[in-house]
Amino acid sequence: MSEYLETTVDKFIFRIATDRLYSAEGIWILPVEPKQDGLVKVGLSDYLQQRSGDVAFVHPKPPGTQLSPGDVFAEMETIKTTLDLVLPLAGEVVEVNSALESTPEVINQDPYGQGWVAVIKAEDFERNRSKLLEAALYFSLMQKQAEEELNAS
Amino acid sequence: MSKTATYHTTVTWKGEHWGHLQMGNGPEMDFSAPPDAQGHADVFTPEDAFVAAANTCVMLMFIWATKRFKLKLLAYDCRTEGTKLIELDRTEIFKCLKFHPVIRVSAAGEPHAIVKARVRKALLAAQKYSLVANSLKSEIVVEPEITVVD
Repeated sequence: MSEYLETTVDKFIFRIATDRLYSAEGIWILPVEPKQDGLVKVGLSDYLQQRSGDVAFVHPKPPGTQLSPGDVFAEMETIKTTLDLVLPLAGEVVEVNSALESTPEVINQDPYGQGWVAVIKAEDFERNRSKLLEAALYFSLMQKQAEEELNAS
Repeated sequence: MSKTATYHTTVTWKGEHWGHLQMGNGPEMDFSAPPDAQGHADVFTPEDAFVAAANTCVMLMFIWATKRFKLKLLAYDCRTEGTKLIELDRTEIFKCLKFHPVIRVSAAGEPHAIVKARVRKALLAAQKYSLVANSLKSEIVVEPEITVVD
């Protein structure tokens, strides 16, 4: 069960699940229990899904796809924009969330639970996890990003 | 990208219950109140303008949403009714706006039920992202009639 850090920026509430790591771009990475074989689940932070808008389609790379850090693991089309979801580590796509085909809006409704996007077999995860942000660090970064967005003219 | 934009109109009194409206995007026309409010028939009124603002904005947002949801729209017509309430203190408010969109889309080879579900999502998105609908105090009710054709 996840616990959350929460902040209010303007009229928006953003929650960060504390049980996982993050990229600066707002992708969360959660080791799959039991922690073996380097399997991690990936998805969007609450902040990223809110500022992207209502999801219309998600196109994850298929199982078997080999990815390097910085590669796109899924393309997401929302009501307002199209964005590439970038993987912050190297690995192979093992599974994609089949629910996203019929109900992609689950990313908006439950970004940390049912809205997961893919399972990745990460290369050397324990060695590379230091490149990711702990929840508290991402929370501070996210707050700054949200306030900058709000204050932008 | 700028976060704000300004739109303007100018009104000029023409005497009695007549006015002339110049809109920022170009059109201009005379206007009055409705006949039951000391105005005149067959002219632009604030009441129609309010309902039209919501109706046109939701329609345009729906058109946008159909493209984002990859729907092949064939027809869209929408009658919208605004219900005015006269309050205890004699102020007035549009209590509710009821939209009756009649929508026809092509299945484009997909199962009808799936296409219909996407149309409903597009309609919800149209309400959520409509500038005018977001700016209203009125309750918004949407009662669609959706037909998917092969």
